Amino acid sequence: MGLFDAIGIAGSGLTADRIRMDVTAENLANAQTTKAANGKPYQRQEVQLAQVGARNFGGALSNALAQSGPKPGGVQVTGIVADNSPDQQVYDPGNPEANAKGYVLMPNVSTVTEMTDMISESQSYQSDVTAMQTAKSMFTSTLGLLK
Amino acid sequence: MAIVDSTQQLLEAAMRGAWQRQTALTNNIANADTPGYQPQEVNFESALQGAINGGQAPAEVQFQTVTRSQQVGPNGTGVSVDEESAKLAENGLDYQALTQVMGVRNTIMRSAMGAPPV
Repeated sequence: MGLFDAIGIAGSGLTADRIRMDVTAENLANAQTTKAANGKPYQRQEVQLAQVGARNFGGALSNALAQSGPKPGGVQVTGIVADNSPDQQVYDPGNPEANAKGYVLMPNVSTVTEMTDMISESQSYQSDVTAMQTAKSMFTSTLGLLK
Repeated sequence: MAIVDSTQQLLEAAMRGAWQRQTALTNNIANADTPGYQPQEVNFESALQGAINGGQAPAEVQFQTVTRSQQVGPNGTGVSVDEESAKLAENGLDYQALTQVMGVRNTIMRSAMGAPPV
């Protein structure tokens, strides 16, 4: 158990939330993109999160050997994956991208989902900041003992 | 009476426990959106109580960080951020109370030793 573990863990949460926020912003920015890099409509991206130390052998071994139970290690982003739900079909015969029946394939991004995700991300970020501030004030009160 | 008496040892052990709990609570908040994550907790009070009753020295007590099985909520984890934030605030205040008591005891010790007060 180190003194700065709590601050590091809150920091890992801040990093993860910032990446989630970046991906949400990317989804919103590309909500109308009909031609992504592969020439198809943009696919919504999602962030995968995992607890640090939970998935690898070393982490599991050190947890098993630890006398004081599993060691908290924070959170990490394990990948950014595409959401494979089908593209939206929008009827817009005047659009140059429209097919023979007049439908345009649009990205599978729902603006409402992205906005609610963004609220949840900003709230998680604030919780992490609060946790970090509490750890800092605890540490400061210990330093006060040395005066 | 020894300079480091049993109260001082208990205060030290409780501060250690509160710090370990702080780490676990921070981890719970950082993992509030990790699918399948179950919250961790440190019940250092009962471990200390057990040590006192069993005649064990408080400094030798190792506190366990245990995983608490909670009903998985709609966000896919067992973490309730409200609950964890409330515990975090409470634990921070507990810790500050412990350091205040320790500070006062240090002041008493200083004056007994004839050192100038700070």
